[in-house]
Amino acid sequence: MAVIWQQFMASFQFDSYFPLLAEVGVILTLMTALAAWNYIKENKFWYYALTLVYLFSTLVVILTNDWFFFLFAWELVTLATTFMLSWSDWKLVRQYFVIQFSGSSILLFGALAANAFGYSQIGVIDSVPLQFILIMGIGMKSGLFLFHFWLPPIHSEAPAPVSAVLSGWVVKLGYIFLLKIIPMESGNTFLFLLGLAMIVYAGIQALRSADLKIMLAYSTVSQLGFIALAIGTGGKYAFYGAVLHIIAHGFAKTTLFISSGIWQKEYGTRIIYDFKDALSRRPITSAATILGFSSLGAVIFTAGYNSKYLIKSAQNPGLLTTAVFFLLGLLSFLYAARVVYWLFIKDQDYSNFIPDLKQGYNHYHIYSLDLLALLTGILGIIVVGFWPEMPGGMLAALVQKDFHILSGMRDTFIFLGISAYLFHNNGGFKVAARGNISLENYLQLFLNFFYGLSRKSVKFDTEKIFETFFYNAVFNASKKLHDFVYQDFTLQLLWIPIFLTVLLLWQQIYSYF
Amino acid sequence: MDIKILFLILVPLGTAFLIPLIDLINAKLRRFFVLLGIFLESYLIISIIVNNFEKLKNGDFFLEYYLGGWQPPFGISLVMDGLSLLFVSITALSLFLIVIYSVGYIGHHEGKYYVLYFLIAAASMGTVLTADMFNIYVFIEMLTITSGALIGFKRSEEASAAAIKYLIYNVLAGLLFFLGVLLIYFNLGTLSMAAVSQNFSSLESGIQLFISAIFLTAILIKMGIFPFFFWLPKSYDSAPSPVTAVLSGILSKIYLYIFIRVFWTVIGFETLQALNLNILLLDLALLSSFLGHVFALQSNNIKRLLGYSSIGHIGMITAVIMLNTDAGFYGGLLHIISHMFMKAGLFVACGYLLQYTRSHAYRDFKGVGLRNRSVFIAFIALLLSMIGMPPLLGFASKWYVLMAFLEARSYFGAFIVIFGSLTAVIYYLRYIAKGFEEIKLEDDLDEEIYSRPLLSVLYREKIVSFITYAYTAIIIGFGLGFRFLDLPLNLSIESIMNVERYIELVLGG
Repeated sequence: MAVIWQQFMASFQFDSYFPLLAEVGVILTLMTALAAWNYIKENKFWYYALTLVYLFSTLVVILTNDWFFFLFAWELVTLATTFMLSWSDWKLVRQYFVIQFSGSSILLFGALAANAFGYSQIGVIDSVPLQFILIMGIGMKSGLFLFHFWLPPIHSEAPAPVSAVLSGWVVKLGYIFLLKIIPMESGNTFLFLLGLAMIVYAGIQALRSADLKIMLAYSTVSQLGFIALAIGTGGKYAFYGAVLHIIAHGFAKTTLFISSGIWQKEYGTRIIYDFKDALSRRPITSAATILGFSSLGAVIFTAGYNSKYLIKSAQNPGLLTTAVFFLLGLLSFLYAARVVYWLFIKDQDYSNFIPDLKQGYNHYHIYSLDLLALLTGILGIIVVGFWPEMPGGMLAALVQKDFHILSGMRDTFIFLGISAYLFHNNGGFKVAARGNISLENYLQLFLNFFYGLSRKSVKFDTEKIFETFFYNAVFNASKKLHDFVYQDFTLQLLWIPIFLTVLLLWQQIYSYF
Repeated sequence: MDIKILFLILVPLGTAFLIPLIDLINAKLRRFFVLLGIFLESYLIISIIVNNFEKLKNGDFFLEYYLGGWQPPFGISLVMDGLSLLFVSITALSLFLIVIYSVGYIGHHEGKYYVLYFLIAAASMGTVLTADMFNIYVFIEMLTITSGALIGFKRSEEASAAAIKYLIYNVLAGLLFFLGVLLIYFNLGTLSMAAVSQNFSSLESGIQLFISAIFLTAILIKMGIFPFFFWLPKSYDSAPSPVTAVLSGILSKIYLYIFIRVFWTVIGFETLQALNLNILLLDLALLSSFLGHVFALQSNNIKRLLGYSSIGHIGMITAVIMLNTDAGFYGGLLHIISHMFMKAGLFVACGYLLQYTRSHAYRDFKGVGLRNRSVFIAFIALLLSMIGMPPLLGFASKWYVLMAFLEARSYFGAFIVIFGSLTAVIYYLRYIAKGFEEIKLEDDLDEEIYSRPLLSVLYREKIVSFITYAYTAIIIGFGLGFRFLDLPLNLSIESIMNVERYIELVLGG
């Protein structure tokens, strides 16, 4: 035990930006812990016990450079967050567990392969195939493109503080790991393309959502795309941009998910068209929401602007880059601004604003702990927005960097103009709220597609689809194999002489190969 | 000369023979007598370890006892080296826990049960300790017959059928083993393992092949490797739970010990390599592991499922041992330990959970977890360990097995390890979900027939659930501190790989 403890302590690495990331992780966890105090009603002790386990294991994941402790701690993160989902629904626990487990088995395979190729510690990996395996390994856990399918259903159905934990920090762990293994000089083109696809696809999905939490979940995927793109680009400023974007998005998304929980309790719905008089009912939550969305949309003087500017400036300069990044920025600005538009501008009546504010019509009690959590988030967004080098000069290289405030302002105003024009003319892109999205529905669609190929239409009981799948596919296939191998008892005994004969003639059989 | 080794065999043997006499005096005394026997056994092992702790640390641990004072190669000697010590300790710990469980579980014909149980204990100790081929055969036959009787202990039609099939298979295997022993004696004129090992390479290669093939067939039948594993799920299913725990937890590991002893110490791995049999065996064991996991998917009976998963794990252990590397033995022995405690714990927990159900079938598993919540949570922890979740012992051992396969560049083996974990998730989750399904009262209440063939009531329920928790605690404890096992494992690997030292110590001492 003593040996393993020494190894454990020696495996910590406190260089470059990882201590900063660990600190931010602690702050975000504290925010969610504050917000959960009034949100989680039952078994509060267990919730906080799980939070504690989660907190320590994330620290290990970020700081360790030993494969074993890394995998171990990540499994603990997975287990802790899995059981946190049980405050919403045990069905989610099962689905999340299966998905994360399959993800971690790919990751385990990748880690073993890296180990076998001589990378005995977590560090820069030069071999491109190995990078590919490890990217696939974290893909399922961190919601890379095509592996992100589980993320919107689960992040939107989880309890709000748990969504904040999952979306704000757990999915980032994979990118923090990639920061360690992708070489800074070259980056990884595959990751770059994946990031691009994620930004566009999930951005469009976010624009088409009517449900606040589903929209937030899709925007998570879209913003993760920026991180993947930055790491894939390679170069000093791109990596700093990725780090800053991890921090900025962590603060913004945690704040937004916490406030989404409050809105849900306040209005009893998550459809953004139904939110009225939000500003007068809960001014501070509204401020936090607006600031969070501004950070997502990269408005100047927020955390999101700095990180996205860094990522943009690390690309090869040129007209194409400028145009592409302008459009990507516009997309994220649009989906962020659309929610703000529906929440605070469209069909709102501000004629009695001051009296209403004084009256304080709110259905859900304003808890000071919730406010404290939101204020921490606001503070984080503003601090990172104004001091990208971070308090204490932890990213000292950014002090010299020119963030082009003027062009940022120009872009913000152009975005604002375009989105105002589009929203005004298209009725704020009002789309019908889609039905309950869940992994079972996806499975149903998938199976329907397959059965559609054989021109049969089979109606599935979606509740039982997990079991149905087993009975029909896995169970029958293995049953067939069993019946093929299994013989009657008397015939079984014939294996003994056959086996003996094979052994005795093995020399001759072997020589044929 | 250390008489304590002899007493390791004599104490359970004596307990077995004295139980009928104790019954004549007072049947209630029996339980205390049984506990006395097992405590004495534990005391012996602990005292051996404590007295020789310095030697253990230095790595020159070796004890022997000559029966009747006859020195090898003529007489029979009992030998305890690192490997034997490891197996004796874990076997005794498992026997200890299961006997306490039996005190709570076995409700009728207790006298017969304990006699058979202690004969198994004596025979397994004897098999591990003896250094004589014929003696090993005697103890194997003892194991076969007593465990066959225990499998049919319920006296139902199904149990008797399973017991008869088990006996046919295992007696045939014993016969083959006996033939091998005879051939060795006629060709070399000695039966002491060390002497045989010294002279085995001087035999003709045809005779070497024949002896190896016969031993191989016999031991593979006993271990339940493809194509001989069909007796295994049946007998695991129909035996009472503590017996299944013994079968899966102890007997299969004892046969693995015999496998290692015969093919590393006596016959020598070089012989297998020269005959090219190691490649065949490696792939056969991996195929067996694959089939075990696949068949577990189709099983609608929890105890059969656990039996199939045992086939998967034992195949994996055999394969990783066949790599003949230090890392392979490290992973294999660690997985032997972890599988021993996981499987025994699972069967023990099954015995508790399935006490009120009509059968062991999947549909009867419904609502089991809601009725006995805390035991079911322990059961889930053990299942997670089987899958290989990190804080538990199963993860550590699977990790080392996987590393061993990758180190030896055996990618099929690495695939089987990961495949086993993934299929295990599938087939265990199904049962866990069923266990938490609520019973609708109107439909299912009349199905809850009280059909416990072994006991009128589980009148020592506390003991039974306590043993389940004890197994879970062992899995979690060793899972966190599996580096404690570093010393005994390295000692065992040393004694497996260094055959010359064994020969020198046995013959020269």
